[in-house]
Amino acid sequence: MKPCIALTKGRLEKQFLDFFKSLSYDVDPLVNKGRKLRVETDDFQFVFAKGVDVTTYVEHGIADLGIVGEDILAEFQPDVYNLFPLPFGQCRMALATEEGKVWPERKRRIASKYTNITKEFFKQKGESVEIFKLEGSVELAPILGLADGIVDIVETGNTLKENGLVIKEEFFEFSARCIANRSSLKIKRDELATVIESFRRGVVVK
Amino acid sequence: MFLPAGSQDEIGNRLINRSKAYEIFRKITTDRNYKQISTPVVEYATTFTNKYAGMNLQNMLKWFNREGEIEVLRADWTTAIARAVVNQDSSQLKWSYQGSVFRSDKDGIESRQAGIEIVHTPSFLGESECLLTAVTYLTELNTDNYLIELGHTGIFEELTSPLQLTEDQLEKLRGAMHDKRRDVVYQIAASNGQEEIAEALTNLVDAYGSFDIINKYEKMWSDNDRLLNIIKHIKQLANLLKDSGVDEVLVDLGRVKNLPYYCGLMFRGFLKSSGLTCFSGGRYDKLYEQFDERISAVGLAFDVDVLAENLVVEDNLKKVCILATEASHVYAETVRKTYTNSIVDIQYEPTNLEQFDKVVKIVTENNQYKVVEA
Repeated sequence: MKPCIALTKGRLEKQFLDFFKSLSYDVDPLVNKGRKLRVETDDFQFVFAKGVDVTTYVEHGIADLGIVGEDILAEFQPDVYNLFPLPFGQCRMALATEEGKVWPERKRRIASKYTNITKEFFKQKGESVEIFKLEGSVELAPILGLADGIVDIVETGNTLKENGLVIKEEFFEFSARCIANRSSLKIKRDELATVIESFRRGVVVK
Repeated sequence: MFLPAGSQDEIGNRLINRSKAYEIFRKITTDRNYKQISTPVVEYATTFTNKYAGMNLQNMLKWFNREGEIEVLRADWTTAIARAVVNQDSSQLKWSYQGSVFRSDKDGIESRQAGIEIVHTPSFLGESECLLTAVTYLTELNTDNYLIELGHTGIFEELTSPLQLTEDQLEKLRGAMHDKRRDVVYQIAASNGQEEIAEALTNLVDAYGSFDIINKYEKMWSDNDRLLNIIKHIKQLANLLKDSGVDEVLVDLGRVKNLPYYCGLMFRGFLKSSGLTCFSGGRYDKLYEQFDERISAVGLAFDVDVLAENLVVEDNLKKVCILATEASHVYAETVRKTYTNSIVDIQYEPTNLEQFDKVVKIVTENNQYKVVEA
């Protein structure tokens, strides 16, 4: 059976395809997949899923390898081999607030999609905060008064700026990463060796 | 009614397979001179969470007893057995156990294990006996599509000892090795300026494979006695497995311990079809230091749920139904005994007869009961 690689849909998808193409792999079936979520190429089987689902498929051995943002790995801590960074999908994790915001003299409220990362960040600082879990458009929370600040990933900083928010502190730099199922890496080592090596070096490996 | 996450009712073949796996295990270990031992399902949390055992209380099923002490459901066999074995006659060297462990960090709160512990035994003898018991058991279960992986805690310890890392850094480095996270391994190891060691550790991340890896590292470590002894030890056991008919022996020289009590050889078995781990174990002399004992101890535990799932159900017994009445029930019971090696049911009103290979009926003829084909 061909090795299965789970890809994160959306932001990372296009960047991965450009990277994969640069390694001389044929990406046409992946680019022209339409709405299909499972695509087979000459060498691999690909599945397309949301970042956190990529980790679930890899953890349970449905997929052998996965391409996923490090933010997802830091937040959900899946039991997988977290092999190495890839040269795309760079972003930072930041604490941001409204410009000119004075911190209130009470326990602060922080909104985030990344509640575990937020908890760990404030734990390291020795500060207790109330965390609100949001699923998206986190920038709204301080504007509408739900939270005093947000913890979120920042790529260019434009969304923050346009919503009147400023970065207070940056604390992680992330990129896309290659992950592997703990058993597959050993059992299918011969089938996976070439593609892992070429991902790692970012060059074609014959 | 709804069940809590991880709990489940079970029926039929799943249960039969599990009993079969337990039964074969009991037979094999008894034949190899193991003595059975069991420990209670309820123990003090400290049995598992003390600094020698090092397990995480967070993942245990726990409560306060009347005295305010924390009690837990058995979270691990090895630590419980160690507690029990130190009070037993020390001339008994080989122990076997089977039963459930309960942890909230696994799929399903309850998981079933069967395992062995060998104490006070020379290192190579104990380890060989463990591995060969595993091979015999898997063979007996007709599980032949597996591979056995060997690793050793001493490799990481030897390579990191000159780095003078803090306890916290060392734990992070161990975590990064566990996740095969090359960039972080290099970063932490190189933080004290020892780039050569950082390079060696990073390469170790990829040091998994077969005899090619063993031979490569045997050459590479020829000038370091401690590492050379470790690799020779691994090679000796790998050869033993190969000579015993194991198709695929793997080493992962970059594997690190995930519990503090492992010290020396570590091993596990993977089923190739599903990738699931069917057994794991290793050497843990250090676990006994909590009882002021310095002894040699090695063992392994099989995941009975994984093995049972993999067993082929032999459902070839003939199924017979005897149709009887309240009056003829005693006679029907005597007829039942005449069908050996068959599954025999007695019914008054015929129900689901299509599941039977043969259906007979008790009739009365001249005041005598008689069996006729229905």
